[in-house]
Amino acid sequence: MTVSVNRLVLWFNKTGSPPNFDRFAARWTPWAFATAIIFMAAGIYGAIYSVPADYAQGENFRILYIHVPAAWMSLFIFVVMAIQAFIALVWRIKACEILAMSCAPVGAAFTLITLVTGSIWGKPTWGTWWTWDPRLTSELVLLFLYIGVIGLHNAIEDRRAAARAACFLALIGLINVPIVHFAVQWWNTLHQGSTIRLIGPSTMDPSMMWPLLATVIGTKFWFIGSLLQRARAMNLEQESGKDWVRKISESSANEA
Amino acid sequence: MRLDYVSGAYLVFALIMAWDFIAPRIKLAQVRRMIALRIRRETPRKTQ
Amino acid sequence: MTLTPTLFASARAQLRRDLRLVWRRRGDAMQPMLFAVMVIALFPLALGAESRMLARIAPGVLWVAVLLAGLLTLDSLFRSDLEDGSLEQLLLSPVPLAWLIATRVAVHWMVTSLPLLLLTPLFAELLHLPGQLMTPLLYSLALGTPLLSLIGAVVAALTVGIRRSGMLLSVLALPLFLPVLVFGSGAVVAASQGLPWSGAIYLLAAGLALAVVLAPLAAATALRITLT
Repeated sequence: MTVSVNRLVLWFNKTGSPPNFDRFAARWTPWAFATAIIFMAAGIYGAIYSVPADYAQGENFRILYIHVPAAWMSLFIFVVMAIQAFIALVWRIKACEILAMSCAPVGAAFTLITLVTGSIWGKPTWGTWWTWDPRLTSELVLLFLYIGVIGLHNAIEDRRAAARAACFLALIGLINVPIVHFAVQWWNTLHQGSTIRLIGPSTMDPSMMWPLLATVIGTKFWFIGSLLQRARAMNLEQESGKDWVRKISESSANEA
Repeated sequence: MRLDYVSGAYLVFALIMAWDFIAPRIKLAQVRRMIALRIRRETPRKTQ
Repeated sequence: MTLTPTLFASARAQLRRDLRLVWRRRGDAMQPMLFAVMVIALFPLALGAESRMLARIAPGVLWVAVLLAGLLTLDSLFRSDLEDGSLEQLLLSPVPLAWLIATRVAVHWMVTSLPLLLLTPLFAELLHLPGQLMTPLLYSLALGTPLLSLIGAVVAALTVGIRRSGMLLSVLALPLFLPVLVFGSGAVVAASQGLPWSGAIYLLAAGLALAVVLAPLAAATALRITLT
């Protein structure tokens, strides 16, 4: 047991070194994206064509097959980013700094998808594009937090200090999300405004679930691919003065 | 294809995912170009 | 032989220094109050001066005005010390950095929010706030404004090294301010509807108790991250 844990730690240490990470990312990015596209294509095909439209909401529930995975990813990526941030701050591992910072744009993208597709789904379902209920407000705040992390990272010149500051912000932001959710939930009990009940996919018939499973898996692999892609670019940029970068650049120029 | 809510939502999804795919590739190309420029700048000095 | 000052002595020295610096620029220290008054004035001018409508929005407007006034002064929390090099000296101090930061935040609150708190009855009159809402309003502001200063200090510490940071500090701080605003203003709105409002106040008090301990530590960590 300890042998395998040691080997895992060793593998992490090896892969975290900049040249190895570049090779690792270059190798696995296409596979991650290919897998993602296969699963998402299957899921979207199922969502649009296979699943019958006799569900209570007519056709519009098909939007949920991308809205729900996007919502789960927006939260999942923030947690992953915060874990990477924690490791980066405590153990000062450069690779984790880069990975954490690479999570932010992907997370922001999924959050934006969640908000827009949710709004589009909400209009025919509830009659309004937006409502200030806890879940929507928390998702909006999540977007602001992602943008804040990206903004702080871009604002500081020293790349490593910038990454560490943004990692710290990510950790604070993670704590803030449930607090905001709780606050808005309490606030909504004061205002007997909308009596909107969010109809979740758990009330769906099981035969209609499989496209959702496919898109959930697809978005996970997409996240891995996008993360590796972005991290590779950031890694290369930060190491651009080093010898190993020079060598692979020259060797690829010789090949061309 | 009728432009309705479902199409709009999937379109937004496709556009944002496309951005997420393309933007890092553009960045990588820029970084590669910068590295090549840097090598070209520094090599003549080395032969002195 | 190095003498480490006691916590009390260092706090008193820091307090004296910061208050003296503020006194020298006491014109600047008036700006938060002017800003708050003008923000409050914006609403009747934009929405019309019908007194019942103003009374309904008064708790929210007052809270937002105080929040924004405090937000805009956060940038100066560490900046002048950064520029003249004394911030690095603070980092090297034998006294815990978190303690010094806590003192600094206390001064910030005293200079920015305490005057606003004292002027709240005046502001409330401008918006025709019903008299019975003064108590929940003052409680919520008294607990909420220190909380905002403490949270803001952490964000100010993160952005201290950035030249021309513009609105970044405000944009980063606002999502963290939201829960305080919701519970603070919400307490007054609850009171206006005859609902129990003490729960929200207790939550603010609990948050403040946590922040008094954790925020200076977090701000100290943030300073060390951005300055090393």
